[in-house]
Amino acid sequence: MRQQAALPTLLALLALAFLASLAFGELRLGMGQVLSALAGVGDELSRTVVRDFRLPRALVGMAAGAALAASGVVMQAFFRNPLASPGLLGVSSGGALGAVVVLALGPALGWAATTLWALPLASFLGAFGATSAVLFLAQRGAGAERLLLSGIALNALLGAGTSFLLTTTVGHFEVNAQMLFWLMGGLESRSWEHVWMGAPAILLGCLLLLPLGRAMNLLSLGEQSAQSLGVDVRRLRWQLILLSTVLTALATAVGGIIGFVGLVVPHMLRLAFGPDHRRLLPYAMLGGAAFLLACDLITRAFPLGLRLGVVTSLVGGPFFLWLLRRPR
Amino acid sequence: MTTALSAAGLGVPGRLEAVSITLGPGELVAVVGPNGAGKSTLLQALAGLLPAEGGICWNGQPLSEISITERGRRLAWVDQEAHFEFAFPVREVVAQGRYAWGDNLDGVAEALAELDLTHLAERPATRLSGGERHRVGLARALATQAPIQLWDEPVAQLDVRHALEVLRLARQLTTRGATLVVSLHDLRAAYRFDRVLVLDRGRLVGNGKPHEVLTADLIRQVFRVEATFVESLVPELPSE
Repeated sequence: MRQQAALPTLLALLALAFLASLAFGELRLGMGQVLSALAGVGDELSRTVVRDFRLPRALVGMAAGAALAASGVVMQAFFRNPLASPGLLGVSSGGALGAVVVLALGPALGWAATTLWALPLASFLGAFGATSAVLFLAQRGAGAERLLLSGIALNALLGAGTSFLLTTTVGHFEVNAQMLFWLMGGLESRSWEHVWMGAPAILLGCLLLLPLGRAMNLLSLGEQSAQSLGVDVRRLRWQLILLSTVLTALATAVGGIIGFVGLVVPHMLRLAFGPDHRRLLPYAMLGGAAFLLACDLITRAFPLGLRLGVVTSLVGGPFFLWLLRRPR
Repeated sequence: MTTALSAAGLGVPGRLEAVSITLGPGELVAVVGPNGAGKSTLLQALAGLLPAEGGICWNGQPLSEISITERGRRLAWVDQEAHFEFAFPVREVVAQGRYAWGDNLDGVAEALAELDLTHLAERPATRLSGGERHRVGLARALATQAPIQLWDEPVAQLDVRHALEVLRLARQLTTRGATLVVSLHDLRAAYRFDRVLVLDRGRLVGNGKPHEVLTADLIRQVFRVEATFVESLVPELPSE
């Protein structure tokens, strides 16, 4: 009964959030205007607003939300800990450092014209590089505990690098503001280029994850047991780390650092619909997409004041606490 | 002679030294030894879960030639620790035993019944007592229907009745041709097995029929305990 309601509910929520993000903003549009703009008819202003500005923004938000939530599910199964998050292996802090480096050096090197691509690319490389470094540092055995500790060490190191660049650029107000904005995540002025940069690869990553749900169930109850029951644990762990890293790196590349989605969305859905990863993965993808769009809608009410990463934490934190305190 | 499980010079650096054993189908084998003697290491190595030296064969076939899926069908291993971090219902955990069989659910209901878990089938595995969790682990192993079963201290946390039932179940499985290797701390229970393996500080110091192996001398030497053979309280399951 509960299970049957899950998919329609999440799809409805996502559709609602999607249409709302096309309708709301500085120019408020009615549902009729949104739908006709989508269909390519209607007045030119609402067509431009919907198709050139709000639609790419919504698509990037959906892709990033789905990627972060799915990546959270993976990390939690991988570390057998419901409190694990996508950033555990240095992906987010690596992405942050990559972006901050480009912002700091870019103007000097004359990259300003190419920042549309330079920033996401540097962030993606930083994110991917950080996780590769964690895997290398943890060495071959790559036991969960060693990975975790290597991740913590590298996160601290990368965080220090980011802070250093932030403080040394304080004099350059413009650069510094761009860094801060990026570090708190955001979907404003996302273009179709950003959609093409992130969405197709994220969709592919999500599709590749879905068939792994059953094996993740076994892994989440113990590596050795899973191995003895016929799961190729070594292979599965590599698949999971790779997919989770790519998904988080892509989300970070197109949306900046957006915290809490990967923790709160899977946790919320697990409490509501149980831990079976075969269902949890698709639920988290839909739920993450809807959650991020909803948070993005809130940021629009406070232009320039409230960053997306701040909203996800402001909304997610109290909700999470309420969930934890709720009698089971 | 057909062998179900054999090891030649099986070793795990620092934990287990050159163990060579040959176990036949239908054998009920106890592994005993003091804490840290290498009982769990031996079971994990036999199950192919540890990088180990030496050779291991299942049904006469070298382990390296058996695919991981096929291993899941042939041998079941039960961890000494039974922790479940996620709230899967008991039935789901037991059904994981069918992973290597493409998740058909043959034998899941029977496994639940054998371990007295039918009434707990829908309960989240995180809300069980320690003994109940161990029974879930055993039921999952049973559901694999694997002919070789390695159980690491299955009865240490069970009450007297469930412990006896698990030992009776082990005996029943061997009468159907399965090979069971069970690590134990209860030497009196081990005395009723077909074969006893005694480990001491990573070395195999005894391998044979219980009355030949579990002598007062060996028990003194390995466990540093004086053992005498006397009449005492013997709990039994009522015959149905």
